[in-house]
Amino acid sequence: MNEEFPPEYGPRWSDQRVERMLGALVCAIVGLLLAMIVTVLVRAWPSFSHNGLAWFGPGGSVDDQLNAIFLSGQSGAEYIYTFHAWPLIWSTLLITGGAVLIALFSALFVAVFIVEFAPEWMSNILQPVVRFLASVPSVIYGLIGVVVLVPFIGNHLVTEGQKDSVAGVISLTGYSLLAAIVVLTVMIAPLMVSIFSDGLRSVKPGWLEGSLALGVNRWRTTWKIGVRTARPAIVAGTVLATARAIGEAVMLAMISGSVGFAPNPADGLIFIFEPSRPLAPTIVKNIDQLSSPPANATLFAIASVLLFSATLFSLTGWLARRSMRKYGTA
Amino acid sequence: MRNKTLAIAALTLLGLAAPASAGAVTLIGSGSVAAQPVLQALFATYTKKVNKKVHFVYTANGGNAGVKDVQNGTSQFAGNARTPLPSDAGTTYIKMFMDGLCLDVNKKNPLGNISIQQTHDIYRGLITNWSQVSNGGLTTTIDPVGRDTNGGTYNFFLQAVLNNEPPASNVNALTADGLVANAVKQDPNAIGYAGLAWQSGLKPLKVNGVPCIPSKISVEPLKYPLSRYLFMVLPGDGSQSPPALLKFIDWMRLSPLAGEVISKAGGVPAFNKKPKKKR
Repeated sequence: MNEEFPPEYGPRWSDQRVERMLGALVCAIVGLLLAMIVTVLVRAWPSFSHNGLAWFGPGGSVDDQLNAIFLSGQSGAEYIYTFHAWPLIWSTLLITGGAVLIALFSALFVAVFIVEFAPEWMSNILQPVVRFLASVPSVIYGLIGVVVLVPFIGNHLVTEGQKDSVAGVISLTGYSLLAAIVVLTVMIAPLMVSIFSDGLRSVKPGWLEGSLALGVNRWRTTWKIGVRTARPAIVAGTVLATARAIGEAVMLAMISGSVGFAPNPADGLIFIFEPSRPLAPTIVKNIDQLSSPPANATLFAIASVLLFSATLFSLTGWLARRSMRKYGTA
Repeated sequence: MRNKTLAIAALTLLGLAAPASAGAVTLIGSGSVAAQPVLQALFATYTKKVNKKVHFVYTANGGNAGVKDVQNGTSQFAGNARTPLPSDAGTTYIKMFMDGLCLDVNKKNPLGNISIQQTHDIYRGLITNWSQVSNGGLTTTIDPVGRDTNGGTYNFFLQAVLNNEPPASNVNALTADGLVANAVKQDPNAIGYAGLAWQSGLKPLKVNGVPCIPSKISVEPLKYPLSRYLFMVLPGDGSQSPPALLKFIDWMRLSPLAGEVISKAGGVPAFNKKPKKKR
């Protein structure tokens, strides 16, 4: 390489080449992203324009509506678009919210333990294990859920009285909020732990040592200095995990249940055993209806809601990180 | 230096590609999950014993999805478990072999027989307790399990049992026949439907008094009430398909060897000649 070009020109020329190539790559990626967002929104538009804000509201059975949309006529005048997505949105909120909340607290304590309290040999084992768990494909979690957790809930936790009380409306067979939240928590917690512990590890040692030198005990030092300084990393990890949870489709399609039913917390304890279906699995389960134009628009409308919430999350995450940056690292 | 590396890489790639492309044909298909176990067994036997140069790739994504794949050209053939619908325009259906859709309960369930009408009422949410199906059996709530709308099995069940009325909201719709079988296996109160090939570990019920066994599966005349043909779906009128595929279809439909493979894998041969020795 260096023999072909004079040494003083060689590096400069290849610098320019790299600059242009990387620039073109970035432009291509941004262009692709924009094209994707525009496509999704354009395809989704008929569904939103026919329903207005009622799209997000409750009303009737979602499954009946999806079926009617799919079976509606072959020409524009006969298309049915009526769709009220509330049960799907509510299910997404419950499952994602529940899982992120549980995962946030447990992951925080696990990360603090790994970084500050565990003996070195133990954190040497835990660290790679957590990283491995964070990269396990979600189908595997779904499979374990279907084979182990769902039958356990259905056969041991749900009582005959509870099943009988909702017979004919929904089946309490273990495909439930509880199963979905538990498996989703197990899925996203390792992701959080690995980001949290990176954040905790990058806290300036001097700050912690200063606190310890003043006689503050180790737990208080970790909590007040370590965790507080690592807050940007905690927000970043939570946002990433939430985005993964909200977009999770395959695993939830396997274990959350298949009815567009909105579990009602007012029903009491039984509500965590009730089945539901979040937004992303709805796309998976109805994917063969894409050939019908109104169904196509409806599924793309669901996709655009997911896309929009993902954007919103990364934006709030960025804002929160910015306002916390004064505390130091990350 | 770099040119040399590139040349070696290119040569290696060529070397890898060459043996595979020497006269071999790969046929790409998708569709029915119900037909998958039998089709896979047929593919394996065909490649091993009849024509080593023909290879198959089959994705079990559901019969309805398979027909769409054939219509838009991503698959050369599709398996399907239902009769043609108006939306299948531009495709040809060829009868491959027969299958029985068994109604299954958990092995702990003492029930032995069920009628089509009772099944209809269970999946429409009109009957919700096993005590309403038979006396002296379970007295618990029924957990009906079915397929989601992606499956040809779902359409067949809809036509044959539900009179095209949609299933009730308490029916748990799963994405694959294997998941239905798994759900029934693990839940003593469940009822589900699945093809003959999925019956291990389940308890198939007699339907209107006729057991779900291969010797009773027949469409013309109809013996077991939920007998059906499984179809091969080809684009156009079928004549444009690759000759290798048409040859395979003839072999599958007619040869005694294919008949043995079909019955071993859980299907029921429809047209295959009987093996000579057994006569």
